[in-house]
Order: sequence, then structure tokens, then C-alpha cells
Amino acid sequence: MAGTLTPERTAARLCELSSDARAAVLLDAAGAMVGFSDTDKERAHGLGDLTRQLLETVDRATRDWNAEPAEQIEVQVSGGAVFASRTPRWTLAVVARRAALASLMLYDLRAVLGELEGGPPIRRSTSAAEGAPGPATEEAAASESPVPELGHGAESEDSR
Amino acid sequence: MKEKRKGPIARAAGLAEGVAATVRRMQREREPRILVYDETGYARLVQPEARGHERLLEIGEEMVSIAAGEDGERPRHRRAGRVAEKPRRRTKRPASEDDE
Repeated sequence: MAGTLTPERTAARLCELSSDARAAVLLDAAGAMVGFSDTDKERAHGLGDLTRQLLETVDRATRDWNAEPAEQIEVQVSGGAVFASRTPRWTLAVVARRAALASLMLYDLRAVLGELEGGPPIRRSTSAAEGAPGPATEEAAASESPVPELGHGAESEDSR
Repeated sequence: MKEKRKGPIARAAGLAEGVAATVRRMQREREPRILVYDETGYARLVQPEARGHERLLEIGEEMVSIAAGEDGERPRHRRAGRVAEKPRRRTKRPASEDDE
């Protein structure tokens, strides 16, 4: 459902989506922390402060680059990686495992921020074993229109 | 087009080349680095001699160590003066008769 993601839930949502995410924080445009995934508030505030410092340092470091301000940041260190993504309203940062794929993490960050800003919700697939709502048999799958709207339209036209 | 190797020595050499390339790639991936992306997804590397590079790595390490917390996956410090912590080696204890 669109618009159900709240700023408070955003960081936790990111950690749900990505198994490589260990902790995430969401800051608003003023740099105040509005959401975190961690249960330990002290740790979350520590991460929030460091995220603010990270962005300030990046902005200082790239000031002379004659380019737009960085939208996403990736810091790879020996024990893990930090990724941050920002929009004019929000900054979402995540600490990930070292093995995390940068492109996937950055994509997830952008997708979650997009969902927070009213974009389409991220769809997660579930396997048939988990009781997915989709058709479970080949026959049912074959009878289902690949474009549901067209299928319904055709049915309604037939009934007229 | 890559020339096809045929002999056993050439095949072994090809394997060794592959392993060496993998090791090199893994080492390169483990190196600390900072990348910034613009809105189009274009990535730029913050060079090690660039202003703020050292500080950015420090912040990254601090964030990782805070998040590691209970996970126990601790970062090895990169800077000189700090002793790199060796990860504990986990060896599987062979099942003895007492265990059964």
C-alpha cells in the first residue's frame, strides 16, 4: 500500500529488505534522527551523529569537484561498509556486512527512500511454500492473464 | 579472441592464472575505499590523498564497529599504531566418543 511507510519505520524496513544490512538510521533535512533500526538507542544516536559527520565531510571533500553534491556515498572499510543515500528531505544510512553488494545496497536505499516519499511500495516475492497469494498450480497460472487489467476488461466485455 | 589451451600444462597454467586473478580481485575489493555517486549514478572515487579521505574512513570504521556490537564481526584497524586484531579461527572439534 502506498504511503504506509513512516519515517520511524524506514530504517527498520531497510534492514528487513536486505539481509546484509546490520543497522540503519534515517535523518531529516536538518540532520535530526527520526528513525533507526537498532533497539539500543545509544548506539542508534551514535550512528546518527556519525552519519551527519560523514555527509559533512563528504561535502567538504567534494566541494571543489565542480559537480553536483553527492547523492549516494559508499565507504568500504575492513570490517564492513557504510552506504548513505539522500534526497532533499531525508538521509538514509546503513551499515552493511563486508560482503554486501554495493549496487544492491544503493538500490535498496533509493527504493526505500522512494517509498517513504510516496513512491510505489517495494514488492517482495514469497515462495509458494510460504503460502504466496499467487496461483499454486500450473493450470491456475496458465489461466491467469499476465496483465490482470486486460483480463478483467475482456471478462466484462464478454458479459455484456 | 582468446587462444584455446590444449595441453595439461597449459590447462594447469590457465587454472593458476584464474586463481591468481581471483586473489588479486579479492584483495582489491578488501581495500578501504570511498565512492560518491551523483544523481545519475555516476561514481567517483575519493582519492587517498584527497582532503577528508582519512576522516571519512575513520567515520566508516566507527560506524561499522558500533553496528557490529553484538554481531561480533569486528573491524581490523587500518591505521598505523593500532594493532590489527586477528580474527579468531574457528576449528571444528572432531566428534569424540564422549560426545555421543
